[in-house]
Amino acid sequence: MGGQACVFYGAAQFSKDIDLALLAEEENYARLRAALDELDAPRIAVPPFDPAALERGHAVHFRCQRADVRGLRVDVMTRLRDLAPFPILWDRRTTITDEKGYQFDLLAVEDLVQAKKTQRMKDWPMIDALVENHFLANAATPTAERVAFWLCEARTPHRIIDLAQRFPAETHALLAARPLLEHALRADAEAMRPALDAEVRTEQEKDRAYWAPLKREMEEFRRLERL
Amino acid sequence: MLYEDLSDEWKEWIALTPMERFRQSEKIFADYLAMGGSLDPDPDPTSPFYDPQTSSTGAAYGRAGLRVLRRGAV
Repeated sequence: MGGQACVFYGAAQFSKDIDLALLAEEENYARLRAALDELDAPRIAVPPFDPAALERGHAVHFRCQRADVRGLRVDVMTRLRDLAPFPILWDRRTTITDEKGYQFDLLAVEDLVQAKKTQRMKDWPMIDALVENHFLANAATPTAERVAFWLCEARTPHRIIDLAQRFPAETHALLAARPLLEHALRADAEAMRPALDAEVRTEQEKDRAYWAPLKREMEEFRRLERL
Repeated sequence: MLYEDLSDEWKEWIALTPMERFRQSEKIFADYLAMGGSLDPDPDPTSPFYDPQTSSTGAAYGRAGLRVLRRGAV
């Protein structure tokens, strides 16, 4: 769901770890434990591997020690801020199959974009690339859902202006949801830049607020593990 | 960034299929490790997972034997 998914979608070339979103069910935890055992991957940081912690939004971190994947980190989450519950994410996932029949299930691009709206600055250029690539791939077949996705999530001023000119009715309909589209309708790229920055700050603040109690918990987990 | 403004390398990357990108990424990953690249997370104080007590800037270029001896003036 993280950098590896961005590689598949063309927004990144490389990721140093693997992030997994998991359906919170005992059967899945058992399968995950078996897979981690196979990779010789112990937990490397707080919190402990505890379904209750995962349910509260924590990520659990592992590092593989098996020779062919030594050092590779695997992060697991079952819940992501402002994203739909797992069964909905699963229903709208993207599935890619390789030549041997191995299946890769990825967060849908719209969910990945939402998941990338974090307090980390490095995630925001990724959103820009994900949306731009989606537009390039689907511009010839602009369904209502796609147009709404581009208008709501594009982050390059000139792309947003271009979209507003192509789809003025849809843009007007989304003004309440994304006020900066007003600038796009006037083709005012200069006004859009501070408005885009303000969007980032708002999302970063929401992300910090979401993580604040979890970070306090992590401090406590660290304290307990040091005892 | 608009597609038109991307470097040729990125345009070529986007032109690949998702599976081709994954395979190329595996090669980049292998090269990165062969050059001594570290799989530690980059120190990022803006990440909720950042722990100043366990994070470090790491060795130069990720390889344990390499240290920065000299940097530019800027």
